[in-house]
Amino acid sequence: MTAAGRPNPNDGIVDRPGAVAVIGAGPHGISALKSLLAHGIPADGFDRADGVGGNWRFGAPTSRVYESTHLISSKPFTQFPDFPMPDSYPDYPSHRHVLTYFERYAQHFGVGERYLFDTEVVDVRAADSTTGSAFGGPRWDVTIRRSGTGPEVTLRYDAVVLANGHNWFPKTPHYPGLESFAGEVLHSADYKSADQLRGRRVLVVGAGNTGCDIAVESAQNADATYHSTRRAYWYNPKYALGRPSDQVADRLLALRLPIRVRRGLYSLMHKAIVGDYTRYGLRHPDHAFYETHPVVNQNLIYYIGHGDIEPRGDVDTFDADGATFADGSRIDVDLVIFATGYLARFDFLADPAVLDIRDGKPHLGLQMASPTHPNLWLSGLIQPDSGQWAIAHWQAETIAEFLSLAAHDPTRAGAIHRDIVQATGHRFSGGADYKDSTRHYYEIAHQDYLLALQEVLATLRGARDPLPRGTTVGLRV
Amino acid sequence: MRPWEWAFPPRGEHLEVIAAQPATDHGHPPILFVPGLGHGAWCYAEHWLGATAERGYPAYAMSFRGHGGSGGHTRLGRATTRTYLHDLMQVIASLPAPPVLVAHSMAALPARLALARYPAPAGVLLAPVPAGGLRQSLTNQFRRRPAATMRTLVGGTAEFTAVDLFADLDAATAARHLSRLGRESPLAQYELMVPHRIEPIDSPVLVVGAEADRVLAPADLDRAAAELHTSAVMVPGGHDMMLDRSWGEVLTTVLDWIDLHGTAAGAALPGATKLPPVAQALEGRPP
Ligand SMILES: Cc1cc2nc3c(=O)[nH]c(=O)nc-3n(C[C@H](O)[C@H](O)[C@H](O)COP(=O)(O)OP(=O)(O)OC[C@H]3O[C@@H](n4cnc5c(N)ncnc54)[C@H](O)[C@@H]3O)c2cc1C
Repeated sequence: MTAAGRPNPNDGIVDRPGAVAVIGAGPHGISALKSLLAHGIPADGFDRADGVGGNWRFGAPTSRVYESTHLISSKPFTQFPDFPMPDSYPDYPSHRHVLTYFERYAQHFGVGERYLFDTEVVDVRAADSTTGSAFGGPRWDVTIRRSGTGPEVTLRYDAVVLANGHNWFPKTPHYPGLESFAGEVLHSADYKSADQLRGRRVLVVGAGNTGCDIAVESAQNADATYHSTRRAYWYNPKYALGRPSDQVADRLLALRLPIRVRRGLYSLMHKAIVGDYTRYGLRHPDHAFYETHPVVNQNLIYYIGHGDIEPRGDVDTFDADGATFADGSRIDVDLVIFATGYLARFDFLADPAVLDIRDGKPHLGLQMASPTHPNLWLSGLIQPDSGQWAIAHWQAETIAEFLSLAAHDPTRAGAIHRDIVQATGHRFSGGADYKDSTRHYYEIAHQDYLLALQEVLATLRGARDPLPRGTTVGLRV
Repeated sequence: MRPWEWAFPPRGEHLEVIAAQPATDHGHPPILFVPGLGHGAWCYAEHWLGATAERGYPAYAMSFRGHGGSGGHTRLGRATTRTYLHDLMQVIASLPAPPVLVAHSMAALPARLALARYPAPAGVLLAPVPAGGLRQSLTNQFRRRPAATMRTLVGGTAEFTAVDLFADLDAATAARHLSRLGRESPLAQYELMVPHRIEPIDSPVLVVGAEADRVLAPADLDRAAAELHTSAVMVPGGHDMMLDRSWGEVLTTVLDWIDLHGTAAGAALPGATKLPPVAQALEGRPP
């Protein structure tokens, strides 16, 4: 919608009094919508895909999973704490399992019928109306376009929850000479199956989880595979000591071991399993554990050991037939895949200041609260060192609990909101010093972040339901 | 936080679920019945499941691992309240809509943990053990049958006679029920004696006590009710109120309460009843 096309107030606007608009039907959207309904707050959802699942709806417009994707985090912490995955699922379910899981969640809680699918949100702005929202702050006009090209409709809400995901808009770094490269260039966003690799000579750039997955798949299918990484990472195994390795890590947390001890134990385990990185032609990681987003891949080292993946450093330049690396070595390839990550996008926001977006990044209290409006929240702007949907659940509960309080006691809610916003910029790093801050802008240590949510939730609950003196809210996230 | 839960997830076992569906769908939430110490789904299947379905509720009864028709009998010894919570959440997540939980006796512990994290429409606790740990019930039991109580304390399954569980049941029927009682995990039994953390519950909760209960002492019942900021509604019969002769009266009390508190919103979460779905609001507009 252009500025000139600004909705004329009250002209054909569909009023949804007392309701919240939820943008996105990925795990953060469906859990937010469910928590709102559970707290007695009506809510409508919108997603441009034709069903729930977000990233996990293989083939949907913003899905970034490929045919072989399995979770990199194991079930217990990844799943919603109030809706576990079935015991029949494996430790690391595939994206098909995951989609079925989200569809069953939506059905179980009656969330699916609250959504409009095949519907894109094109504009979100504070409404030009004299009446305020039931939750404090302005009311919000949400303009949608159904089925891609249909006419636009504007609806008016009392609050908005953005759950539009930050793992889908491709980020591609610039390299000299890339324009002259005669082969094919793909971003991992467009990588769907190993068919795209067969018979090719492939260079995979990027050592995130997606880059490592694609490098391994390329080793199994392509004619040759090179893997270029900017820095040296720790490659964590999926299993350690006979258990999913994230469960082993949580065991150390359960024992309340300080980060230094956990680091020590982790490097011991690494020594036992991987050993000396330089033997494989890799560089030794230049940072301590927990200082970068964990890469979990059991097969990368294996295929390097088989000679099916050749590790390389940073690309220096591209030419028509291949690439030259920082160390001067040169290779011939005909397919380059950039697994260089994704950027958060909020194109539908009329006024980026409501999320304090600077350099493309929102600056939010608890990584979820708008600095300007108590009735605008964002769920999902996190990159945990763990599974994600347990956190999605508690973010959803925090939003719903806050809005419930705001509807009844705006003064108290306002004070809590100010506290949340005041802490904007706090890093929930669990004591680690994150390297490479642009890549780790959304990174959180799950235990640290959950404790912060737990504290806010306990305050919100206590405000809603004052307890007898001397008792505490035994709330546990 | 629950790092132990993330670090040591219980292994999956086959879980028995017995269902009875109403003849017509009234849009009521399902009711999930959860059995107590040594009991299985069978204790609800006897009378309550069918009668609940007749009142229009989809009715389900489950057995924890190592109980009734569930798997894991040989590994029962390792089960704890947390394991039972896992089993309960597995069954809840397999149901088509959020269930009202009805839990008996020992199952009150996992049921309360489930209610603290899960938006159930309502919860009913029948002769519930208090989260603060059994006290009066233990001393009573010890006075009445010291030897049997000692065996329980060293890991034996709590022993029940017809007099313990039923106030008014003919000997043959009582014997038939007693013969179906199974073993209990000693760890789970020990957990009945120690205090547990009390987590806040948002769903409405009804606590039901049996007038002639010889297992759960009135003082312990009152403590359980007080933990939930309520007082117990007393019904006729013994501890196993779903099997005793007065089962029909008890069930009526329970379902009347659920009619009032659990179905205000039908099977939907409360927010969903306040405004029709957006698709309806946009009906008649071009797609
Ligand atoms: C390859 C890969 C592997 C991963 N593995 C794991 C893992 O093992 N464990 C884990 O916990 N996480 C994993 N993740 C992270 C993953 O992003 C999260 O699990 C989760 O999907 C994020 O949920 P979300 O709801 O925030 O966003 P998404 O799942 O991206 O959902 C956002 C939704 O919003 C919709 N949307 C956006 N903008 C609009 C608009 N303007 N109008 C209408 N609809 C809109 C999109 O269509 C989409 O459906 C992985 C991610 C990738 C890419």
